Amino acid sequence: MNQKKQLSRKEFLKLSTGAGAGALLGRELLENSGLLKNALAQAEKIQEADYVLNKPENIINSVCLQCNTGCSLKVKLLDGLAVKIDGNPYSPWTMWPHLPYKTSLSESAGIDGHICPKGQSGIQTLYDPYRIRRVLKRAGKRGENKWVSIPFEQAVKEIVEGGKLFSNVPGEENRDLSGLKDIWVLRDPKVFKEMNSDIKEIWHSKEPEEKKEKIREFKEKFKEHLDKLIDPEHPDFGPKNNQLLWIHGRLKSGRSEFFKRFIQDSFGSVNFHGHTTVCQGSLYFTGKSMSDQYDFDEKEKKAKWGGGKKFYWQADLSGAEFVLFVGSSPFEANYGPPYRSNKITQGLVSGKLKYAVVDPRLSKAAAKAWKWLPIKPGTEAALALAMIRWVIENGKYDLKYLANANKAAAKIDKEPNWTNACWLVKIKDEKPGEFLRASDIGIEKARKTKSLKDGTSIDYEFDNFVCYENNQPVAFDPNDAEIPAEGDLLVDAEISGIKVKSVLEIIRQEAFKYTIDGWAELCGLEVKDIIAVSEEFTSHGKRACADIHRGVSQHTNGFYNVLAWYTLNLLIGNYDWQGGSSQASAYDNVGEKEGKPYDMTKLHPKKISPFGISIIRHDVKYEETTIYSGYPAKRPWFPMASDVYQEILPSAGDGYPYPIKALIMYMGTPAYSLPAGQTQAEVLADINKIPLFIASDITIGESSIYADYIIPDLSYLERWEFQGSHPSVIWKVQPVRQPAVAPIPEEVEVFEERMPISLEAFFLKAAELMNLPGFGKGGLKEGLDLFRPEDYYLKMTANVAFGDENDGRNAVPDADAQELEVFLKARRHLPKSVFSIEKWQSAVSPLLWRKVVYVLNRGGRFDDFEAAFDGKQLKNKYGKQINMYIEKLAKAKNSISGKGFPTSATYLPIADSQGNIINDEKEGFSLNLITYREMAQCKSRTISNYWLLSLLPENFILLNSQDALRLGLTNGDLVKVVSKTNPEGVWDLKAAGKKPMIGKLKVIEGIRPGVTAFSLGHGHWAYGAGEIVIDGKNIKPDKRRSLGIHANSAMRIDPYLKNVCLQDLVGASVAFYDTYVTLVKV
Amino acid sequence: MTKVIVMDEKKKISRKDFLKLAVPAAAAALASGSLNLAKAVSREDESIQAPEVDLSKLPRELVQKNELLRMQEDLLRALSKPRKERKWAMVLDLRRCIGCSACTIACKAENVLPPGVVYRPVMDEEIGTYPKVTRRFIPRPCMQCEKPPCVPVCPVKATHKREDGIVAVDYERCIGCRYCITACPYNARSADFGETYTQGTPKVQDYELRPAFEYNKIWPRKHGASPIGNARKCHFCIHRIEKGMLPACVTTCIGGATYFGDNNDRDSLVSEFIARPNITTLKSELGTRPKVYYIWG
Repeated sequence: MNQKKQLSRKEFLKLSTGAGAGALLGRELLENSGLLKNALAQAEKIQEADYVLNKPENIINSVCLQCNTGCSLKVKLLDGLAVKIDGNPYSPWTMWPHLPYKTSLSESAGIDGHICPKGQSGIQTLYDPYRIRRVLKRAGKRGENKWVSIPFEQAVKEIVEGGKLFSNVPGEENRDLSGLKDIWVLRDPKVFKEMNSDIKEIWHSKEPEEKKEKIREFKEKFKEHLDKLIDPEHPDFGPKNNQLLWIHGRLKSGRSEFFKRFIQDSFGSVNFHGHTTVCQGSLYFTGKSMSDQYDFDEKEKKAKWGGGKKFYWQADLSGAEFVLFVGSSPFEANYGPPYRSNKITQGLVSGKLKYAVVDPRLSKAAAKAWKWLPIKPGTEAALALAMIRWVIENGKYDLKYLANANKAAAKIDKEPNWTNACWLVKIKDEKPGEFLRASDIGIEKARKTKSLKDGTSIDYEFDNFVCYENNQPVAFDPNDAEIPAEGDLLVDAEISGIKVKSVLEIIRQEAFKYTIDGWAELCGLEVKDIIAVSEEFTSHGKRACADIHRGVSQHTNGFYNVLAWYTLNLLIGNYDWQGGSSQASAYDNVGEKEGKPYDMTKLHPKKISPFGISIIRHDVKYEETTIYSGYPAKRPWFPMASDVYQEILPSAGDGYPYPIKALIMYMGTPAYSLPAGQTQAEVLADINKIPLFIASDITIGESSIYADYIIPDLSYLERWEFQGSHPSVIWKVQPVRQPAVAPIPEEVEVFEERMPISLEAFFLKAAELMNLPGFGKGGLKEGLDLFRPEDYYLKMTANVAFGDENDGRNAVPDADAQELEVFLKARRHLPKSVFSIEKWQSAVSPLLWRKVVYVLNRGGRFDDFEAAFDGKQLKNKYGKQINMYIEKLAKAKNSISGKGFPTSATYLPIADSQGNIINDEKEGFSLNLITYREMAQCKSRTISNYWLLSLLPENFILLNSQDALRLGLTNGDLVKVVSKTNPEGVWDLKAAGKKPMIGKLKVIEGIRPGVTAFSLGHGHWAYGAGEIVIDGKNIKPDKRRSLGIHANSAMRIDPYLKNVCLQDLVGASVAFYDTYVTLVKV
Repeated sequence: MTKVIVMDEKKKISRKDFLKLAVPAAAAALASGSLNLAKAVSREDESIQAPEVDLSKLPRELVQKNELLRMQEDLLRALSKPRKERKWAMVLDLRRCIGCSACTIACKAENVLPPGVVYRPVMDEEIGTYPKVTRRFIPRPCMQCEKPPCVPVCPVKATHKREDGIVAVDYERCIGCRYCITACPYNARSADFGETYTQGTPKVQDYELRPAFEYNKIWPRKHGASPIGNARKCHFCIHRIEKGMLPACVTTCIGGATYFGDNNDRDSLVSEFIARPNITTLKSELGTRPKVYYIWG
């Protein structure tokens, strides 16, 4: 063999140039030298080594966070190094059907699940050479990317103490900063509670004089504490504590409660705000409005609308026969491709599923669809109304379901939920307003008794709602489980002199405003296509669904687009049915449910309930506050939404309603991810608007580049979190994210404990220095300490393991000896500062420890496959009333225009905050700019993933060939994106520089003419793409990360507000798809 | 000694010309070693080790319903036969391929592929004119031809067809001449220039230097050592299949478009597909007789 080989090599020598010869001769010489023995010994070792990535002791099951789908992972380790990531076969996200939960680790180790390329590439997020290990302190202007690295302890001390922290930076020599201790002024939970209740009284007093009097009384009552308020003349601004502002991007449960514990429960700031509106706010907040129930409110001791969940529905693909994907991109984005793709493709091939896609771009899903409807962006509600018209006109709605006015009626039909379709609404000046109440037509209010949580009961009045049955009004209680009420669906009548219409009639009239031809023209689609999808939609009973996402919600009219589509789903009554609209279902990790081992909401020795108007002015009516000064308000108020991301920084910048003193930013990048992100960067760059800016990040990102301090964080493969679920996942689950590898950030000491720097470590240290309650010794309660992240997260894991039945009958099994052994072995590479069996074990009750191990070994908890179904219905039901008509909106006002809001599905044109229609198209900006997601990038945080860059080194500006011809552009041209509010086509990033918005044109057929698109995630200027100086040393940027284009800066700025993008004033979404641009060849 | 240095120098220059990379002397020895080769060949004759996966305790219904488990069971059955009685084949159902490239990256991670080396690219092409337009996604691994054009051109017989049909590269023999790369009509081979993705950044990362498990061996990534300098290609993840696991591209396929199994087993899922009328192969006119099949629609 050896002989033969050498011969062949010699033969090759004759044929080849000198190149190969050199190599060979070198080897032969070596064979004869002393080096041979060593080399052979090493080669021998190579031979004997085995494949080790299928051994349970080299696997940690965890959860992805490369995007928010949060697929379950199997992280494979080689000598402690994460080398391969696969899908976790225990989880429905990544295996279909997934393994039974009880499957042993030795069995599952050899079975890999599926995961997308971003999930695979997570290793490169973890091992990004541009990750930071030490705290960075700003050493130049904000955004200049000049830093010094400082010890963790010093950083936390500076942030807590304040002072002249940046005297080394020219121009900031005398800038004296408030530290956290100076902002944490009001400390008594009792005073918080009393003030909060008095503030509500101020808000509820109707007359200005009465309000003034209440304010006077407030000042008198709390005269000792007035210095602790932001403005005693406006006590509803709350205490100075509110001037600590928290903003987060991607935050999941576990960390969410931990960080809120600091900001809200212990520190007492009301300003803890997330990023929902940049993703799909109007989807969530329409869901919230639609899920509000009219029931007794224990706090206010009366019946009212409330309890709506910030959530949404998606199509259940396990049983759907027809799905209309509207502005949702199931193969490239959404929640999420690993979970949904195989169900769609299998349905397609087997013939069980037919689907159509509504999207201006031919997405990968559209490419395989039965029909592609390239809609004009922003007219999504028009299409929904066209379909609603067709459905009503042809009598194809589920009459039996819609006629149910309350719980009892639904119960008789074995329907899991009901709507307010037949409820009567009072019509005033042709406009639908509040619901008709029994007392309006002379029917007496009902007396009811409610048993309260504390065991007592209370009597209260209940004014019933009314429907119309056979020309007779019927009064009913929506939650009555005994007396059914059914109503006629299309009612336009007068009762006791009051003009009324049924909800469905209101919607019918809206849908009949245009003919189907009229609607088709508005949304730029063919009538025959609209009719075809309508027919298909109504031909499968409840096994059809409109699955909607960002393309529907991220418009100025987002709320009503979503409402229109969800109304369409209600017409066929598909909610809670297999193949219809499903909701998410997750095991409770917070422990709020009765009987759970650890109620984390209560484990606090001195918990504060913060109060006051939030910086984003949400969940409060402008008109009731002390700052009310007529219309337009300086900035919009949001009675229906929260987490209004785009408003956080501009509001702080405007000091409206009040200025802030310190900002903590976690895993977010408003400058990069928000439309018109430069407006956000401008605030971050301004030391007067944001006096102290602390960012938590794994690297120096596009927004953390402006920070005063960057606290290195743990990546998702090094830390804890509870991912929760998504509506498309029909199983009850709780994926648990846990440390899988040794951390990159340096190790520090907090409460005499060693741990890697993380945001938890930062808060623990700050609490230690401030003596802030809720952390450290007795931090949870007397005898229960909170020294380490695991003290908190393992208790949450125990809650998951215990299950949601109060007697624990739903608990997971105990890990046996073998599982315990694997658990330990699989963590042998983790340093003591992360994994100490003694410390972990002592964090939970000995009775629960083995159950915790069982859950962690599987990367969370997942119900078995069969558990998701209940006959033709879904097991994990929403199971309540679903509102087609939002009465709350009849009482709310647009704070800019002073006008009311529509109350049910309607089509609104794209408009600015004052309600003026945006008409940039008429000014020569001929292309409607949209964004989309390629599989090979997440929205902002995967540019460090070189494997992904190998798939798509740069993104493109997509343009239809018809437009290219019209504009004289050709494939591959470099073009600049220019808009009315960014005529230069440049990112103006203050000290971080200027970056022109230039991208490469890709001329295609698969996009609607008149629309241009770019995919999100490319075109970075930080995140390793820009010059960095740390401790005087230049760190070479990686130019691969700056390739492609990020054109958010071209997106339209609101002409009234001037420092924020266009937004939906009801659902609070930002407008991603409502800007018109010009492409200028460069 | 002087002579050695001289030769080493010479080698460096020539390798640079030929492979565009520098090779330290000691590594060349690592790359070959005749004893090892002999051992490897004898191992190939053995009737393979027992698979390390046991699906017998899983519910039967689940294994039947879950395509991955069904295929893995097919695979375990094949492993119980001598190697020469197996005929590995892959079926790519293009109706189900969503062009996500999860396979491309799974393969990169599994086999530690550096920049420029791709075993499993996925093509994305647009067909038609607006609004009658579609897109087609085509994964294109090595076809594992019955008559592989890459085998006869290899001057050192490094590229060879195994008795189970997999076309393999013997890294210890390969001299990196790249004739096979040119010969392959499917463009399924690439040269390993020993680059890393993180070169030029603050630190080359360890995950890029970790050993690969290809061909049931361990290949540390060191300059001068195989597979750096070699031609590389898809091998159906021999190191996984012979341990009872499906190839990485199969398990990770989120569209469920990739099927794998033993075409010598009439009960295997791939055999079912291969017998259907909509099955085809790429460039069948060349007579290469691929064992990677396509379902176009």
